[in-house]
Amino acid sequence: MHSEAALDRTFHALSNRTRRSVVHALAGGEAHSAGELGRHFRAAQPTISKHLKVLEDAKLIERTVEGRVHRFRLRQKPLQDAGAWVARHQAFWTGAVDQLETLLEKGSP
Amino acid sequence: MSSVANVVEVRRRLKASRSDVFAAFADAELVAKWLRPSTQVKLSVLAFEFRVGGAYCFAYDVPAGPRVIVRGTYRVIEAATRIVFSWVIDPPDEHAGIESEVTVTFTSAGDATELMIRHAKFDRADAEARHAEGWRGALELLNGLLQNAELHR
Repeated sequence: MHSEAALDRTFHALSNRTRRSVVHALAGGEAHSAGELGRHFRAAQPTISKHLKVLEDAKLIERTVEGRVHRFRLRQKPLQDAGAWVARHQAFWTGAVDQLETLLEKGSP
Repeated sequence: MSSVANVVEVRRRLKASRSDVFAAFADAELVAKWLRPSTQVKLSVLAFEFRVGGAYCFAYDVPAGPRVIVRGTYRVIEAATRIVFSWVIDPPDEHAGIESEVTVTFTSAGDATELMIRHAKFDRADAEARHAEGWRGALELLNGLLQNAELHR
């Protein structure tokens, strides 16, 4: 069962290009530090920190703190939930357009 | 992990004129014949007011499964060019209440028509920022979100 608010948070978090890039960078499953992610995107550290907070709030990533180093790891569950919505509607419209094509081939409406 | 996109996009080149493809979206009887994911699913058009601000309501039935009801309103209608409508599924569906928006565009390609359907999650926060105060609103909103994020931690 999805929570509408949780999906809202997920989609909001993913509505930003930099945050999507962070998710991609973490998609391999390995944890990365904020510094590594900042270098990766050539963005100022405070900017990356803000994006990481949004992602963390959406529970898309989880943070572990070792001394002064903050490491981030991707959480799969919210992405899977959001992915289910996307997959369902992708299948819906692909199927619908198939049928529209068939209808149009039968003759002009 | 496959995709993290929050947008669904389907493009198809159809062997029909733009006005014929547009008509398939604009007429309740025609819509009932195709606007469903497969031939196994029966579509009943419960409401169909094809005008800006008008509402539609589609009921989808499968032989063994709950009825799924989708509803929304038409936001933009430009004849043979573009249609924009909201899309929300009624409870108790697992995706009930999630607001999204469908944009359909029709482009001529010789004798054919390039159809593009883009279905995106409707981000209310983004929309309000765009409509109200532009960048300032968006920044305030962003700051608010970050403060809330800190408060709730």
